Amino acid sequence: MAAVETCDVLVVGAGFGGPVAARRCAEAGLETIILERSRVPGEKVVSGLVIPFYGFTFGPDFIREGNPPIERPICRVVNRFVRGGEIYATDSTLRVPKPLALGYSAYCKPFCTWLADRAVEAGAELRTSTTAVEPILEKGAVKGVITDRGDEIRCRVLIDAGGTQNRLAIQAGLRRKYLPEALELYMLWDFEMAKEDVDQTFGLSMEFFHALPEEGIGAPLGYGSTLYIFTYRESIHPGLGQFLVTRGEIPNLAKLLPQYFENFQNKVTRWKRDIAPKVKLRATTWDVCPIYAGLIPETRNMPIFGDGILIIGDAAGFEASAFGDGVPSAWFSAELAAEVAVEAVRRGDSSPYVLREYEKKVREHPYITWIITDWRRWDLRKVLVSGDERELRRMIRDHWGVGAFRYRYSGRPLAKAVREALRRDPHAPLKWMEMFTRYFRNWEENRFDPLSVS
Amino acid sequence: MEIRTSDRFPGVQWVGDPGDFIKVDEARCDGCANCVRVCLAECYEIRDKKARVKTLAECMECAACWYVCDKGAILFSWPPGGTGFRTDWG
Ligand SMILES: Cc1cc2nc3c(=O)[nH]c(=O)nc-3n(C[C@H](O)[C@H](O)[C@H](O)COP(=O)(O)OP(=O)(O)OC[C@H]3O[C@@H](n4cnc5c(N)ncnc54)[C@H](O)[C@@H]3O)c2cc1C
Repeated sequence: MAAVETCDVLVVGAGFGGPVAARRCAEAGLETIILERSRVPGEKVVSGLVIPFYGFTFGPDFIREGNPPIERPICRVVNRFVRGGEIYATDSTLRVPKPLALGYSAYCKPFCTWLADRAVEAGAELRTSTTAVEPILEKGAVKGVITDRGDEIRCRVLIDAGGTQNRLAIQAGLRRKYLPEALELYMLWDFEMAKEDVDQTFGLSMEFFHALPEEGIGAPLGYGSTLYIFTYRESIHPGLGQFLVTRGEIPNLAKLLPQYFENFQNKVTRWKRDIAPKVKLRATTWDVCPIYAGLIPETRNMPIFGDGILIIGDAAGFEASAFGDGVPSAWFSAELAAEVAVEAVRRGDSSPYVLREYEKKVREHPYITWIITDWRRWDLRKVLVSGDERELRRMIRDHWGVGAFRYRYSGRPLAKAVREALRRDPHAPLKWMEMFTRYFRNWEENRFDPLSVS
Repeated sequence: MEIRTSDRFPGVQWVGDPGDFIKVDEARCDGCANCVRVCLAECYEIRDKKARVKTLAECMECAACWYVCDKGAILFSWPPGGTGFRTDWG
């Protein structure tokens, strides 16, 4: 017989955002359940993945104070400009000295498991292998979900952390599926590589390969991601992607994405000479990512809350349009949603009147709105029209080189976030330094918090 | 539960029986083949001017097919908990 149960807060999804919201709610003493459709958190999440530093410095305290399983600190972005398979210029002006880092690479399964462990530790209940099939709706209000076993789980507030495909909020009539123009289909390859070889070939950098379309190693500029290689402890993780729509057409991505990577492997000397002899393919995966959700008014303006429901992370379209980093905003929005959920449960009122506070907090957040409406990647389309390599190099330097920190780009949200952090805690910079140093040491010693499931 | 792998896509496993979690509503499908063009797992084929799910054996549940179907002919849902694709390397 189908069971019926109740809780204060039900979080759907134990990817990057869900556990952060659940931990906050559980810490506040709320009865919190997390549902996750995979058997182990993170094993259905396909991502890049380099999580930028600002997620750590301005995100949840427990992540900053903990020892999550990171793969490699990334201190430098190396932009390679390719013509005829050869690198004709390199821009590596975006860098910080270690132990500072621009970001940390990570595999999703251990990282999401670590996050879910922290939620459980705070008292949340994690139910894996459970799919939320549809929301329970009463007079337009979300009251919980029905699971794939037909059980009813009722709650005061539902936090939808289900990621890009966002089925629950669509079924609840709040949102529509993302437009294909907003979505990039990424293909990713994971290669084993000895740690010494990664250290020697890349050090603490990640690499981007920019080229005009005739090179055939990536989507037309602005219509996707140039090929990148993210570096991990003992592996490298190349990836590339293209939007589901290019110049109004749905391209044959099934053919193009593997073709771009094949061309890259066959043509680009850096790969053939420095990398290929040292690597062995271990995995091929892909996923879609709502990178332009914030740039398209129809998707940007879809509701992020409703009666009884708060929507966070990718499900809310909080994906950075320039770099495609969505983890920091999943964390930021998870914390904001949890604060509002706690208040709603305390007041015994989860009507939109109370929950709309979440939208206000999201709008006021120094990073979220800014990063989802950043035009830098889109602007590469100008080079696509002009075909001017000098302009390409200038734009990359400005956007993915040292210029990225200019006030009109990421300098502004950074300055605002620092100001806010200092207002709350004048010692914040010391805590950041402590974190960077500890993370670096953890990486050097290859020692992180143990995981409940390895 | 049974675990399947694929030579084409190493490092990924498909667990148990996910069932028909993606279906095509033939009445709505106009055979535009957008789904075929974006599916890296080659789940679809066009037969008699309609898309058909050929197999979900290598589906990574990305839903690209669902997004590009502007006729609303692709019915997309999640497989039951604990089944379907999984990876250690995402
Ligand atoms: C190819 C690619 C590269 C990326 N690169 C980067 C990067 O370098 N840096 C960065 O910061 N971000 C990157 N991102 C974005 C980042 O992965 C996402 O923004 C982040 O995972 C969003 O977190 P989330 O919690 O919203 O969703 P997810 O992390 O996707 O979590 C959603 C979870 O919900 C579960 N779920 C969904 N529906 C249900 C349901 N109905 N019932 C039960 N469980 C359900 C899923 O199984 C999953 O575990 C990348 C994304 C992609 C696709």
